[in-house]
Amino acid sequence: MSLHYTLSVVQAPKVMPELPKPTTSQTEGSLCGSNQSAALWADMARWFGNDICSILGNIKSVAFHEVEELRLRVGQPLLLRTADQDLFLDREGEVTSPNKAYFVKQEDFASALERMTHSSVYAAEEDLKQGFLTLPGGNRVGVTGEVIVQHGQIQTLKHISSINLRIARDILGRGLKILPLLLGADGSFAHTLLISPPRAGKTTLLRDLIRLISNGVPHLGLKGLTVGVVDERGELAGMWQGVPTYNLGYRTDVLDGCPKARGMSMLVRSMAPQVMAMDELGHADDVAALLDALRTGVRILSTAHASSLEEVRNRPILAHLLEQGVFERLIVLSREQGPGTVEGVYDLKTGRVL
Amino acid sequence: MLILGCVAFIAGCGSLGLWLANRIRRRPAELRECLMALALLDTEIVWGVTPLPEAFRILKERTERPWQEFFAELQERLERGESASSAWKDTIVTQNEHFCLKQQDWQVIRDVGKGLGRSDSQEQHKQLELIQHQLALIKDQAGVWSEKQAKMWSYLGFLCGIAGVLILI
Repeated sequence: MSLHYTLSVVQAPKVMPELPKPTTSQTEGSLCGSNQSAALWADMARWFGNDICSILGNIKSVAFHEVEELRLRVGQPLLLRTADQDLFLDREGEVTSPNKAYFVKQEDFASALERMTHSSVYAAEEDLKQGFLTLPGGNRVGVTGEVIVQHGQIQTLKHISSINLRIARDILGRGLKILPLLLGADGSFAHTLLISPPRAGKTTLLRDLIRLISNGVPHLGLKGLTVGVVDERGELAGMWQGVPTYNLGYRTDVLDGCPKARGMSMLVRSMAPQVMAMDELGHADDVAALLDALRTGVRILSTAHASSLEEVRNRPILAHLLEQGVFERLIVLSREQGPGTVEGVYDLKTGRVL
Repeated sequence: MLILGCVAFIAGCGSLGLWLANRIRRRPAELRECLMALALLDTEIVWGVTPLPEAFRILKERTERPWQEFFAELQERLERGESASSAWKDTIVTQNEHFCLKQQDWQVIRDVGKGLGRSDSQEQHKQLELIQHQLALIKDQAGVWSEKQAKMWSYLGFLCGIAGVLILI
């Protein structure tokens, strides 16, 4: 199997990032496509106050599926981030230079926050303390502002000054290509670590793998396994008031907002999972708990921040895990050809590239 | 025939008076209901950490008629994505006519909308508590005043009727 391949089937538009923007939107800009994009923009626009709402509603030159982030910073121009570009928007929703763009006002934050929380900022306090909000639909909104600290504990966030709306993409079947490589000779699921730099689709791929493992893939001979998910940052299941916004499969139990170290032992004891999945491994406590959980025979599926195998080996905590021989497979993602580019899948036992 | 006409006239004036008296009596009752609703909203926000649309749905179920419709409209507006403060203001405008409250009552109730849902639960609690105190004061005054007024109107209606009959005859 080749080292470099992209998941181009499901990510069709991202195959040609080198094409100039207007052409891309025109090639697939059949009436249906652009209508759909406008509808999606309108759907996104409802989270903002009137000014930004109308800007987003008027966007024509940028296709919705190309945008990864929407950033608002107080007193700074409105910014869209695509896979490879930063685009500034003006009042009419057109792409322009930074100094002609629409400058975000304080009032925009107040009304955005109001709409994102259904006018109930107090109900989102727990999330705000961690610096984010989850919108129904699973989009994650990062926020920064003035932090109020009392007795060394973060009480709340006031005077929000930056909002980063990360547009969640739930692409079904993405993990299907990789999954065969993660099965051992006897067809059982191997302990897997997924590494990538930020914004390379780590969480999205993890989510997809969880769903596949949980549902089972008959043509690979993989029966559905019970999956326990420790969702410390609420990103995997996108829980919104107890309702998951992402489909994580038939046999998945989610422990939401729980610190990984505690959550792992809780899940092992209470839900007897066959596979345990978690995001962003990296703390010493996590590793201890993970080694502990391994004794019960549970399979591990996790992610970590690192851009290559070498980097993992240089990080003491992750290196320790590798030396212990905990993980059997390592998936490396990059943004080489758009988010979700699989750089390689390694068999850590033999050191081979699969 | 004449007697029948007189009786009808007196009954008409009397029932007009009774209707007015009834309206006056409803004001403290509506204020009491509002106080109860605000107390409920307060507990929903502070202890339940319930988002406002959901909290208004609960209020809708727990209150009686004019307020029930008031909260129903609020819930609908919030679910449509309107901000709490503007929804509160606009709902007062549209629902105003179903109530027997006076302008001064609305002035206090309108303050609930200011900053509703815009801050943390402690802040919300303080604000709601303040308004509850003000409303309680108004309600006490209204109780005494309306009892007197209601009594007056219920007599006055009949008396006016009788007086009118006497003059006409």
